[in-house]
Amino acid sequence: MMRAAQDALAAGARNLTKTYGRGETEVHALRGVDLDLPRGGFTAIMGPSGSGKSTLMHCLAGLDQASDGTVTVAGIDLGSLDDDALTVFRRDHIGFVFQAFNLLPMLTALQNIVLPLELGGRRVDDAARERAHLLAETLGVADRLGHRPAELSGGQQQRIAIARALVTEPDLLFADEPTGNLDSTSSAEVLGHLRRSVSELGQTVVMVTHERDAAAYADDVITLQDGRIA
Amino acid sequence: MRTVLLASLRVHVRRYLAAAIAVVAGVAFVVAVGVLTSGARSGLMDGFGAPYRDADHVVSGLGAGAAIALAERLGPNASPIGRAMLPMRSGGRLFPDTAVGPVAVAQEMRWQKLVSGSFPAREGEAVVDTWVARSREIAVGDRILVGEGAAAADLRVVGVVESPSTSAQASVYVSWAQLVRWRDEPTLSLNRVAVRGEVGALPAGARVQPPEEFVTEKQAELNNRVDALSAMLLLFAGVALVVSVLVIANTFSILFAQRSRDFALLRCVGATRRQVVGAVLREAAVVGVLASLAGVLAGIGAGYGLLALINALAPAITMGSAAVPVPWLLGGFATGLVVTVVAAWSPARRVVRVSPLAALRPEAAAGGHAAAGPARLVLAVLLLAVGPALLGVAMAQDDTAFLVAGGATVFAGVLLFGPVLVPYLVRAAGGWLGPTGRLATANAVRNPRRTATTTASLLVGVTVTSAALTGMATTRAALDEARDRRHPVDASLTSPRNQVTDGLVDRVRRTPGVEQALPVYGVTALVTGLDGPIPVVAAPDAGLVARDGGAFAQVGPGEIRIDYAAFRKDLGLRPGDQVTVRAGERVIVLRVVGGTGWGRVGVVSSETLATLTGLARRVPSRPGAPTGGIETQALWIRAQAAADPMRLVDALDDLADPAGLQVDNGLQARETEEQQLRVLTWSVLGLIAIAVVIALAGIANTLGLSVLERAREHALLRALGLTRGRLRRMLAAEALLLSAVAALLGTVIGVGFAWAGHETFVTRALAGATLRVPWPSLGAVVVIAALAGLLAAVLPARRAARVTPAAGLTLD
Repeated sequence: MMRAAQDALAAGARNLTKTYGRGETEVHALRGVDLDLPRGGFTAIMGPSGSGKSTLMHCLAGLDQASDGTVTVAGIDLGSLDDDALTVFRRDHIGFVFQAFNLLPMLTALQNIVLPLELGGRRVDDAARERAHLLAETLGVADRLGHRPAELSGGQQQRIAIARALVTEPDLLFADEPTGNLDSTSSAEVLGHLRRSVSELGQTVVMVTHERDAAAYADDVITLQDGRIA
Repeated sequence: MRTVLLASLRVHVRRYLAAAIAVVAGVAFVVAVGVLTSGARSGLMDGFGAPYRDADHVVSGLGAGAAIALAERLGPNASPIGRAMLPMRSGGRLFPDTAVGPVAVAQEMRWQKLVSGSFPAREGEAVVDTWVARSREIAVGDRILVGEGAAAADLRVVGVVESPSTSAQASVYVSWAQLVRWRDEPTLSLNRVAVRGEVGALPAGARVQPPEEFVTEKQAELNNRVDALSAMLLLFAGVALVVSVLVIANTFSILFAQRSRDFALLRCVGATRRQVVGAVLREAAVVGVLASLAGVLAGIGAGYGLLALINALAPAITMGSAAVPVPWLLGGFATGLVVTVVAAWSPARRVVRVSPLAALRPEAAAGGHAAAGPARLVLAVLLLAVGPALLGVAMAQDDTAFLVAGGATVFAGVLLFGPVLVPYLVRAAGGWLGPTGRLATANAVRNPRRTATTTASLLVGVTVTSAALTGMATTRAALDEARDRRHPVDASLTSPRNQVTDGLVDRVRRTPGVEQALPVYGVTALVTGLDGPIPVVAAPDAGLVARDGGAFAQVGPGEIRIDYAAFRKDLGLRPGDQVTVRAGERVIVLRVVGGTGWGRVGVVSSETLATLTGLARRVPSRPGAPTGGIETQALWIRAQAAADPMRLVDALDDLADPAGLQVDNGLQARETEEQQLRVLTWSVLGLIAIAVVIALAGIANTLGLSVLERAREHALLRALGLTRGRLRRMLAAEALLLSAVAALLGTVIGVGFAWAGHETFVTRALAGATLRVPWPSLGAVVVIAALAGLLAAVLPARRAARVTPAAGLTLD
């Protein structure tokens, strides 16, 4: 029973607390958040600026250590990992799409997509390249693979970022305001691709956004207010 | 704009650190040269006139013989000035090449100042210079042994003196009567005589001047020499300054690029282009003023520190108390300020060329620069075509001016071509590295112009270093070869009267420091033109010990080779003279050929020796029982490379003296030359090192600023799974690539320059010199530069790795 419940969960948080600074300047970004993210679901985290939604994502994704409480992803307690182990965990289990600065400017689109594989020490073989091409094709950027980020539109950059996030088949894909810099057409395309990765590939996606339209693509919506789930 | 200026200085002051270090080092270099120049000048000038103070005339342009004749004619009214370089033994230690000078006969003409004791009144007495007394631990009452062999004199130290005049300075002074006992020493030079009253008739070529005129003239010459020296030092300072300009310019262009959004915002709220440029240049000026001031102070400190150090370590080189060289201080300060502002000029103009709104757009900062504009490329190609042509002319015509012009042109071409060339090389080198290395390579070449400028500073330093190393290795090889010809045998034991016994040969062979000792066989013979009998030998096996491969002992039939240095002034013979050689009843006529460095024996061919002894058989070359009047006449010795020459010569003396043999050696001369070359090499390297250090500060700075710039990328990489260690390694690899490429390129160019320089002026000065490329040293330079680059990456890499990915991602 426990086992089944765990398998059904991609990630969870218990009493997750994050405090920045000390004394006078102490800021409570998260005040005891409890959360379960079901496997194969598309969850949107919403909330106004400063509500703690980015902090929540950073803690769930192992980019930042919680001040208190536990975070479990793919059955592993992230608090028990040191920095290097956490880094390797991110590499193998988590994919990211950020609002901006998603791509390394000196690498081509294809190099950016296969970067997580390279960092993992995996040989970028034909199969990997095949997969990258397939993803790029699905995302409609197959003809842009030889270009550098500066030569791509914002929408194209985000789609390359999605391809990069999916190439390792992560347990969890985090998208932090993925449409924040995009026009409505590109936004719709990017959100459509995230949605399809959930419904067609069975990915688990967590998206932080403050746009209602974007949240409408998700299965669940969690709203944060002053560091608590509202 | 003043509020903006002050605020931005406050915020950015730490980022100017490397630029400031570059300015400080460059300015300090110039100022230190000024202080040293001033110290050397006063050291040379102070008391220069002392020996001529009470004279009516100064006679110059005399040989030692003529000076002695003049002094003997005028008696107490003459004070000859000069010295002989003689070995001195004191307190169980041997000091080769000790300067021994005269004390004037007349009390009033003695220019040395007595510190303690009295002046030497007769032969067998000496006074010692106070610095020498201190460093060699000689006190009044001690005995010193000066000179070698028959000319050696056992002297009692009766006083300690100060020698105010560096031009007349010696370490030991003796009475005139004692000094003339060394009149036959080849190292004795007496080229000036201070005279009271009438001079009388003089040999041709001698000049008589009033003392004031003589002193003024000599001081002008000294001034020129000091000026030439400081010009050479300034050349190194110039290299350091060029490197500084590159570092400063690079720092400013990176800083300004990072702040282009600030500038854009300023423009948007109403600042004109002029105001922005003005503010930026004022900012640079403030940095320039502060750094130049610090540089001036550091230079004064370094200069006076070095003066004190030189006075303490090398009392013979008197450095006077330097007056603060105000023009140098002002010059250094102005140079620093101008260099800083000029270096900031072009980056400042570049930032305001961007339209305010374009700069404010969020993604604008990531835009890369073009590698090089067509104008730059055309100019680079032009320079790279013209430069080698100029170098070719220089080599063909032995013209140094063309060499300098060609070298400068080629180097300017390389620097302009850098943005294309350097990234290409970095990519080629980085291709061998793993995934982290590939990221590092991509990072290193993403901004070709920045990459090129960063490497250029190190390139300058390494080019100069490797050119200097190659030049010195080449000169050294040529000098070594000449020296080996001059001193083919390290030491020789000979005597016209006593034979070398087998027991002595064994003892010499067992002496520590002796690598090989070769007994040389021959007969004692009378040679016309020489006072006494000398050994005449044949040495077909001389190659076993000779440094010139035994070439000196290859004597043609009918020839006898005489060591001119060993016989010195006993020798009335000239090469080409016909001499009769008489051994017992046999007499033959031989033609004299000259040479140096194997002692007081005449060398002939085996056939000649056989004729001379009447034996049909060839001379035995191995130890055995020589027959028919043939005896072991000499012992030629080769020293081990690591042998201490003084100790070895002392040991040989101890063996030779009881046997009645004379020791001649080239070891001490070799050691002195060796030491001078070592000092020269290290001085030059030390001077260049300053430029290299500035360049490395520049690399560290560029990397540090790039790290700030790329904080978000690093966060992204960390989010995607790059561990802290690998992030550090990535940055280290980037620095390593930059410095290694600069070092390799610099070595290639430096060796090229050295070759051009060699063809232009070394072949002219040293016939038969071939270019020697000191591969181990050059390899060491490349490795050291690369490692230093790695070191430069340590701090930036640590700073970059400390940032958590979450913090990096949320940066503005």
